[in-house]
Amino acid sequence: MTESLFMLSFVFPGIAAFVALISRKGDIGNIASQSLFALGGLCGILGAALFYASGEAGIAVLDVPLFGLVVGRLSVFFFAIISVGVLLTSLYAIEGLRPYKNAYSLHWLAVASAFFIVGMQGVVLASSVVGFLIAWELMSVAAYFLVIADRSDDSLQAGLFYFVMTHIGFASLVAGFLVLSGGNAFANWQQVALTASALSPAVLAAAFALLFVGFGSKAGLVPLHQWLPMAHPQAPSHASALLSGVMLKVAIFGFIQSLFLFPAIPASWGAVVLVVGLSSAFFGVLHAVVESDIKRVLAWSSIENMGLIFSGIGAAMILRTLPFEAGPALASAIAIFIALHIVNHFLFKSGLFMAAGAIVSSVHSRDMDVMGGLAQKWPLFSGIFLALALSAAALPPFGTFFGEWMYLQSVALALVGLPLPYSVGAGLVLAIIAGVSGLAIFAFVKMFSSVFLGRARDESAEHVRPLPSLVLLSPGITAFALALSGVLAFPFFSARFILNESVFQHVAIVEGASINSWIVWGLVAGLFGLAFLFSRAIGARIRITDTWDCGQPLTPRMQYTATGFSAPIRFFFRSFLVSRKEMLVVPISPENPWIARRSLDWIVTSAWERFLYRPITSGILYLAGYARKLQSGVIQLYLLLVVLTLVAAFIFAL
Amino acid sequence: MLRLLTQIIRTGKKTEKAPSIDPIEVVGENLRKTIHTLYGGRSLRIRHVDAGSTNGEEYEMTALGNAYYDVERFGLSFVASPRHADILTVSGPVTRNMEHALKTAYEMTPEPRIVIAVGDGAIDGGIWKGSYAVVGGVKDVIPVDAEIPGDPPSPVDVLKEFLRILEGARK
Amino acid sequence: MTFALITFQTLLVLAAAPAVIGMIRKMKARFQNRQGASIFLPYWSLLSLFKKEMTVTRHSSWVFRVVPFVVFGSALFLAIAIPSFAAGILSASLSNIFLVGAVAALGSVFLVFGGMDTASTFGNMGSSREMTIASMIEPALYVSLASLAAFASFWSLDGIVLYFASVPMYTTLPAALSLIALVFVLLAENARYPVDNPATHLELTMVHEAMVLEYSGPYLALLEYASWIKLTAMLALVANLVFPWGILVAPFAGFAFVVALAAFVIKLALGAFVIAYIESTIVKMRFYRMQEYTSLALIIALGGLAVVLFTFAI
Repeated sequence: MTESLFMLSFVFPGIAAFVALISRKGDIGNIASQSLFALGGLCGILGAALFYASGEAGIAVLDVPLFGLVVGRLSVFFFAIISVGVLLTSLYAIEGLRPYKNAYSLHWLAVASAFFIVGMQGVVLASSVVGFLIAWELMSVAAYFLVIADRSDDSLQAGLFYFVMTHIGFASLVAGFLVLSGGNAFANWQQVALTASALSPAVLAAAFALLFVGFGSKAGLVPLHQWLPMAHPQAPSHASALLSGVMLKVAIFGFIQSLFLFPAIPASWGAVVLVVGLSSAFFGVLHAVVESDIKRVLAWSSIENMGLIFSGIGAAMILRTLPFEAGPALASAIAIFIALHIVNHFLFKSGLFMAAGAIVSSVHSRDMDVMGGLAQKWPLFSGIFLALALSAAALPPFGTFFGEWMYLQSVALALVGLPLPYSVGAGLVLAIIAGVSGLAIFAFVKMFSSVFLGRARDESAEHVRPLPSLVLLSPGITAFALALSGVLAFPFFSARFILNESVFQHVAIVEGASINSWIVWGLVAGLFGLAFLFSRAIGARIRITDTWDCGQPLTPRMQYTATGFSAPIRFFFRSFLVSRKEMLVVPISPENPWIARRSLDWIVTSAWERFLYRPITSGILYLAGYARKLQSGVIQLYLLLVVLTLVAAFIFAL
Repeated sequence: MLRLLTQIIRTGKKTEKAPSIDPIEVVGENLRKTIHTLYGGRSLRIRHVDAGSTNGEEYEMTALGNAYYDVERFGLSFVASPRHADILTVSGPVTRNMEHALKTAYEMTPEPRIVIAVGDGAIDGGIWKGSYAVVGGVKDVIPVDAEIPGDPPSPVDVLKEFLRILEGARK
Repeated sequence: MTFALITFQTLLVLAAAPAVIGMIRKMKARFQNRQGASIFLPYWSLLSLFKKEMTVTRHSSWVFRVVPFVVFGSALFLAIAIPSFAAGILSASLSNIFLVGAVAALGSVFLVFGGMDTASTFGNMGSSREMTIASMIEPALYVSLASLAAFASFWSLDGIVLYFASVPMYTTLPAALSLIALVFVLLAENARYPVDNPATHLELTMVHEAMVLEYSGPYLALLEYASWIKLTAMLALVANLVFPWGILVAPFAGFAFVVALAAFVIKLALGAFVIAYIESTIVKMRFYRMQEYTSLALIIALGGLAVVLFTFAI
């Protein structure tokens, strides 16, 4: 039963692609194919639920020579995330893709989605190296077609960038796995682990570096992150949700799974992962703050959250190796954070991408500087978005906060649990995480307030129609799930704090005093009730007026835009953000030079792009200029080259 | 920092005694009601609107906040937004350019509210009465509850009038 | 008993908050050689505001009307979760340092929404600035609280205060730097000098006041009251750590109760004096130099953490 459900979740995307191809254009095809995708997702969820209910350690779903799919406890966790993601995004796409009938060719989009989904599912269930790599490549290439779905110049450029970066990562993955498995691509994971245990530490370190580069480039870790904020936002919104919300988790899955292949993990590897993770988190959130393209903010925030998760993985890798009592206990506490944050980030990021898609399709722009005032037009939707934005900012009472609380608390516990050099390191990590979480609050407050609050800053956001309710469904479900996880998480965590469990051995409790967290929630609910009554009581005495304007009538353009809102941060961190400002002044009147048309050309790039990507690109182009000289068009020269290559190959082989 | 502190201590309290006043006998209905609603006017917030004065009144009213007159000890304070205010003090003849601004400021002041016209210009236009640039006194634009004559009234005059108005309304 | 004490402590903070503001204003007035208003004036201001109607801009949405309640709720949480009068009565998870920090941040965030939902540039500007300060001070807040917590080996504010009250005062000297960092955070979080000028009438220099410019009547009362409660609770926390005397600990006897009440009043008066003194002797910093202030706070906090960790080592 469980196996067939898992198989069905592989089969349904294929059927959906087939149906989409048959029906070609038209709403019916889209509805049918998206429903089939959703059905596949539902099967995956049911399968995962049955698997966990059965309590088995692992079962083979498909076992053919050279290719097998095996579900284990770790892979089913990620499989469930993929399935939920597919279900939610397909439900959204039924209505969400309708306005884009002419912009995308929906049937080919469905085909690419099908390959993408099957690729992701294959990655998490693959039982051998070759199966993993094939599924990985399927996922990556299908994602390329999702990115270039609208075939605009921006998309093609972003797609090319993505294609190059993902294949650098893929090459590095292939090399890493082949090193580990001793050149046997058809080895299953147990065999790989067995071969790896015989390898020398230097080779293992090389393999780890290759795998970290491969998975890190897909997860958008610094410095291989620059493609992500370009590529993810270009895809249709439901696909962006899958890319950012789900595919990044697949990269984490790959990384965690390959960690189990190594016989031992030195603390120095963990330190590398920790540092890379923290710098990704910092640069990701910094750009999320200063960016004003709504979908790009979300993409940058994905980098931030991936950075946080990887820093957690790195910290856990270090802690596990330490010979102190607190080390392993804290590592398992951080593991709880990793699991929680994977789920929470998936929920709020896919919800936010879908919500952003709904906004973009109504406002017809991704620029937050032209939006505003949508809370008055869409009260319910703005409530959903607010819940998602607060989750993304890791504020209580949503689930994300409790995950990050766990992380901060564990790092803080390392201050007292570990001896000196480690505890100082923990203090620095704590400061960075706190800084990142502060800036994350800024980024999402900026997003919510510039999109929903105040007045529409431009005509396009002024006249929006009500949203179809099906579009609200999926973001609403994610918001509800986040709120629910927050409500349930507090009793869970506060029980852990009070019971003095081994994880929190250093969290001393105060004797004789405890408040049941349910009482706290009861109080919160009671306060809300009181607030409601209070507002009812004074509701009759509200008089609506204009905004106070000091006598000078206000225009919507006088409001702070998203760009203006983040100006202080842009100023304070200007050394990290390479921004270029050019004021173009074209005089109109020859007599008076002050009468002129002024336009501001202004872009924020990153230090990485300027100091890493640009030099490498220009270096490659420079070398390519030399290589071009070989292209003389003389046939004899080509023949000579062929002969020389052959000779070189023979010499190398001997 | 220490030198500053010693100087502060050596200077001591410079606020003058509250002026002795005889309260106004007849006050308007709105004024009386407002003061009674707001607990006898123990804490009143003032928003000052310059509707086109020569800034004479503003100079004098700024002096109310200094150590000599210290209007705060009577529970009166100046605020930055008409939405926070209980009292609108308006100075100057209402010029045509400021008519709209005055009306909006009045509209945004939440009930119960008092409007006090400060200075001869605010009362009836003063020396600009009849000018094409002037609408007239404040009472031609918004309802006025009390008037403080003078061109400009000195801080002591303003203070005295405030207290007379409040005392009168409290009765 | 515990529940009654928590309720009493909360009500005490709620009752004391306007008087603390009144005291600060009175002391500042005396620094300016003025007589100043009565310290009980803020009570009358609050009551008067509740009697007034509200004028609300037509460009605001439901968020604008939710803001006062969430901000007030956040302040109320601080009043509950910060040990101001008695220690050892709150559960460890409820007054956990990270939870308290996050709930305070939630209040700031909604205040920012309130300023942004007005379509007024003043509110927007205040919001942008407040958000900047709130997010930049976050590392200093968490690091200073965490080092105090590490020093006391308690992860709740309640436990930290209990620890400080139970050991001889000279042993708490290594935590001095962390306390200084906490004072920096307190000034920034509560919009006092040198971060913000609470008495300014010039919109361009406002941060907190600019965000509430569009609020009126009961909503304004809630917001102002919330900011007063926040200041009082945080002031009581710092005062309890700097002067760890007289705080009520178990057993909660009758005489200790009176002593604790007197200590509460004296500590808050002292705290008010310090704030008034700071505000009368230094100037407000230019907003675009705020990163210097927050970095200084963070460096002091990290220094405090280093001192605490080295104290453990020896």
